[in-house]
Amino acid sequence: MNEGAPAFQGETLFGPDPGSAPLGWYRAPERGDIFASAGEDMSRLWREVASSLGQLGDGDLARMQSYLDRNVEDLGLAFRLTGDERERPWPLGPMPVLIGADEWDRLEAGLIQRAELLEHVVDDIYGEQKLINDGHLPAALASGSPNFARRMVGLRPPGGYHLRIYAVDLARGPTGEWRVLSDRTRLPTGIGYALENRLALIRSTGGLLASIGARRITEFFEALRFGIAEDCARADPRIGLLTPGRFNQSYPEQAHLARHLGFSLVEGRDLTVRDGRLYVRTVAGLKRIDGLWRWINTGDIDPMAFDQHSQIGVAGLVDACRSGQLSVANWPGAGVVESRAMSAFLPRLAKVVTGGPLMLPNAATWWCGQKAERDIALSRFDGLVFASAFRGSVPGIPEGSTRIGADMDPQAREEIMQGLARRPMDYVAQELVETSTTPSIVDGRFEPRRFTLRCFLARGPNGQWVAMPGGFARISKQGHLRTALMERDDFSADLCIVDESHGTRTVRPPDLDPPPVRRGGGQLPSQAADNLFWLGRYGERLHQTARIVRILVENSDGPVGRSALPESLTTADRLAALLRQWSAAPAAPADEDHPSPHDMAIAALTDNSLSGSIPSLIEKARQIALLLRDRLSRDSWRAVHRSLPAVDAMDSDSLIDACDAVVAQTAAITQLVSDNMGRTAAWRFYDMGIATERASMMLQAVQAIVPGSASAEDLTALLDLIDGTALYRSRYLTIPFIAPVLDMVLLDPAEPRGLAHQARRLVDHLSALPDLREDGLPEEPLRLAQMLNAKIAGMEADKLTGPVLDGLRDDLGALAATIGRRYFLQPDAPASRESGGLLA
Amino acid sequence: MSDTRETVTYRVEHKTDLSYATPVAQARFNIRLKPYAWPGQEISEQQLVLTPQPASAVDEDGPYLINTTRIQFEQPLTELSVTSQFTMAITPPAPPTTAMTIADVREMAAASRDLSILSPAPYLFASRIAGLDPAIADWAAPLLPPDRSIVEAANALTHAVHEKIAYQSGSSTSRTPPGEAFAAGRGVCQDQSHVMIAALRAHSIPAAYISGYLNTRPPPGQEKLVGADAMHAWVAVWCGEDGWVTFDPTNDRLTDSDHVTVGMGRDFGDVSPIDGVFVGSTVQNLSYAVDVRRVD
Repeated sequence: MNEGAPAFQGETLFGPDPGSAPLGWYRAPERGDIFASAGEDMSRLWREVASSLGQLGDGDLARMQSYLDRNVEDLGLAFRLTGDERERPWPLGPMPVLIGADEWDRLEAGLIQRAELLEHVVDDIYGEQKLINDGHLPAALASGSPNFARRMVGLRPPGGYHLRIYAVDLARGPTGEWRVLSDRTRLPTGIGYALENRLALIRSTGGLLASIGARRITEFFEALRFGIAEDCARADPRIGLLTPGRFNQSYPEQAHLARHLGFSLVEGRDLTVRDGRLYVRTVAGLKRIDGLWRWINTGDIDPMAFDQHSQIGVAGLVDACRSGQLSVANWPGAGVVESRAMSAFLPRLAKVVTGGPLMLPNAATWWCGQKAERDIALSRFDGLVFASAFRGSVPGIPEGSTRIGADMDPQAREEIMQGLARRPMDYVAQELVETSTTPSIVDGRFEPRRFTLRCFLARGPNGQWVAMPGGFARISKQGHLRTALMERDDFSADLCIVDESHGTRTVRPPDLDPPPVRRGGGQLPSQAADNLFWLGRYGERLHQTARIVRILVENSDGPVGRSALPESLTTADRLAALLRQWSAAPAAPADEDHPSPHDMAIAALTDNSLSGSIPSLIEKARQIALLLRDRLSRDSWRAVHRSLPAVDAMDSDSLIDACDAVVAQTAAITQLVSDNMGRTAAWRFYDMGIATERASMMLQAVQAIVPGSASAEDLTALLDLIDGTALYRSRYLTIPFIAPVLDMVLLDPAEPRGLAHQARRLVDHLSALPDLREDGLPEEPLRLAQMLNAKIAGMEADKLTGPVLDGLRDDLGALAATIGRRYFLQPDAPASRESGGLLA
Repeated sequence: MSDTRETVTYRVEHKTDLSYATPVAQARFNIRLKPYAWPGQEISEQQLVLTPQPASAVDEDGPYLINTTRIQFEQPLTELSVTSQFTMAITPPAPPTTAMTIADVREMAAASRDLSILSPAPYLFASRIAGLDPAIADWAAPLLPPDRSIVEAANALTHAVHEKIAYQSGSSTSRTPPGEAFAAGRGVCQDQSHVMIAALRAHSIPAAYISGYLNTRPPPGQEKLVGADAMHAWVAVWCGEDGWVTFDPTNDRLTDSDHVTVGMGRDFGDVSPIDGVFVGSTVQNLSYAVDVRRVD
């Protein structure tokens, strides 16, 4: 269409008006564009969405993109490309791909048929192997898959379903026909992004999606959740999302899903198997896990059953599967059917199993392990795409990619020919699937871009397959979509299923009984407790370090350490010593050339190599926050990631500004985290972290600033640390003296930043935590906290000598260590050993 | 060396002692020392003695041709002693007679309708340790042309591996990839077997790893075989209509009544005699003694 449209859109004199028809400028390719070939009703919806996006951006589509980018960032949506160390923001375009209800119904029926067929094949491979014995599927198709787990043969899942969640990539050809490009039965990567894309789009476009009648996808996630729960042995199951950990490419996605679905985000080391049952280590002891959504490969789930060297699995997990006490989605080994080679057999298997053809064909595929098929592949070499039959790299084709016969240089051709001669069963040839285009916003205007879709299916209650009425489109700037992963410059778009007549239809919500009302956040996994405790500690350490640096900058005008006699140490000297003790400032040089307080402050604010400097502490806090992604509210998450103002070394004011910012930001984070967290064990551990760190730093500050004698200036600095200067003045009407100041910072329980208050806080929290003892006596951490609290309550300010302070520090250290031993995971990761040396 | 097909009976005793510098917690082990039913082998008086007694011990079959005893300790462990004893009567296999070529074997394996543990399909593909190595594939190519007889080719490859990888005890670990041993030109029986397996699989010939023992006390006047003081490893090659035929690259010959088979898998990882996980230090002492005595 658009034969007569101007060739250069956006270059007319005035540009498109707000509310005009931006798709009117769209220049679609000759064949197959999804918008250009849409029927009248659908075409109207496309234009409606396009013009609404234009209006939302006040006539500027690029502005719409930046609104959306901000929402993506707010949602914390991120991902990594292979090789990335840091996460990058998830690229999402504002223009969704629209599919009408009739077309979707046909697609959905085809997808469900395929899901059922794949289930049948997996069930056969791990069951009676009739399809194999009857010659419908070569045995090598199973054994060749890296996801085939022989150990799972004969080991049926409790509900009977190997597949619960299934993702599939689809391409739309130039004549509008759909083809399956690949199946994902191992990991439905992208399902979390589909959810978040929708959230981000709704936030940026207000009622737009509702106004065009886009189907909601939330019911799909409900169905998925209840489907997993249904297979669990207990009626009120505890379900975990088993993640490989935060270094995994899709960790942010996993954390989002866990939070959205109310599953615990767990790693292998959080879990243990006893007597065929799976347990999570929590602060209330071991608690049973009934269901797992696993995001790690079968080969890594159990070092006793598969790879002994797996560090991310759970020893004995397969025993728990065998005992029928654990539901796992997808069942271990289910990935066996996602090989490319399987597509060569599915058309025939569909006939054998369902009696009819595939309703939704896959790309025509020839498995080169068979002579007749290999001959076809060789005779049509130039016109076909060559790929690894079982994923993984093969000679001539790097992992994850494919090669078109005609595009190969002689060397690549030679490599593939040799590979085909030596190991033909490792290759498939596939027809070239041409993808059609969709209107995408690029540089503020609509441009045709090639796309593929990723769709998701899950079994809801009663095992019925439900397709997510949505998904995401992967849109390529390069125009080639031959790899499975997002590549640089690719972006995603939401997929909306719309009813042409604007009626609204949704996945029918499952029929559910209301749950019994209950309170509390379930049992807190030990590892989460550990991370929360340390998030509290690092936040507080940051806060106090920034306060000290600020006092140091404000309080001094000469170099540190000039005086020879300890009695005449300046306040700056003492503060500098404290920063050094915390590794926030460089060690004192041996020569006479002492660093100025200014230099020390710059180091504390900028030097990454100092483990206690402000940037190092921020990095540590962020790393821990990553592990708590499923527990922190979005606002807290954003606060943790907000960057600091730049520090100008030449400008003292900028140093003070930076300190102010850290002090304000850490206070804000503490406030946000505390305010948004239920008063559950999670909050208690976070707050205990703060209290422990505050107590410890306060004692250290007193010891550094008051060694024997202290000037009024020193004591004022100390009062500044607890924000107590004004209170002191109102209480005493004189300059600071040692005993009254120490009473305020250490002994007065009413002083919220003082030591006594922290001891009380620890007692309160520890008394409220679950108690594992059956004899009614307090557990060790509580006993030690009570002792510390009583000791402080019985102290007098004028008798606080050095040894007494040392004693308090030892007590506090012992208490922190005991909390760690009792509530957190043991630091030893399970070690594996090998039996080398047994062999000749 | 005995070339006749008379039955020979052995008493085998294999003792392993493990100790840890500090007690280890939650220890679980897979012990794979009980011989699997293997053609021509008759086992009797088999027992596995464990000290201390584990909290649980479960016997399992598979997932390859291997018996696994899974043990678990609830108390911290500082020492573990594992003794495996059995009597084995061995009738050596008949020599292979098939005239099939490598091409025949390859097509037959790829088309196999059998996924069981004795079928060729599971052993046709790269496995965790015995991966496909381009250097080994290229080196073996002249020995394994498609039109060559499978038995002749396997014999030639056995000899070539024997020449290429010098036996040198202690030169590798149980995780040494075959490519590394191949590049170094030395290794133990395990490396020689893995290299041979990698070479065969690179040319679509199903090949499996066998763990077992050798007769440690040869008849007077004969030299002790290499690898007789510990567990030994050799290679099973799938020869089409003749099924699995076993070759010992360490001693450059077909296996015979000197070879006591324990199990077969895709590589060492599937049949490793003892492995496991625990929480604690890995510092340990490991000592073992193998005695294979003729008792007939």
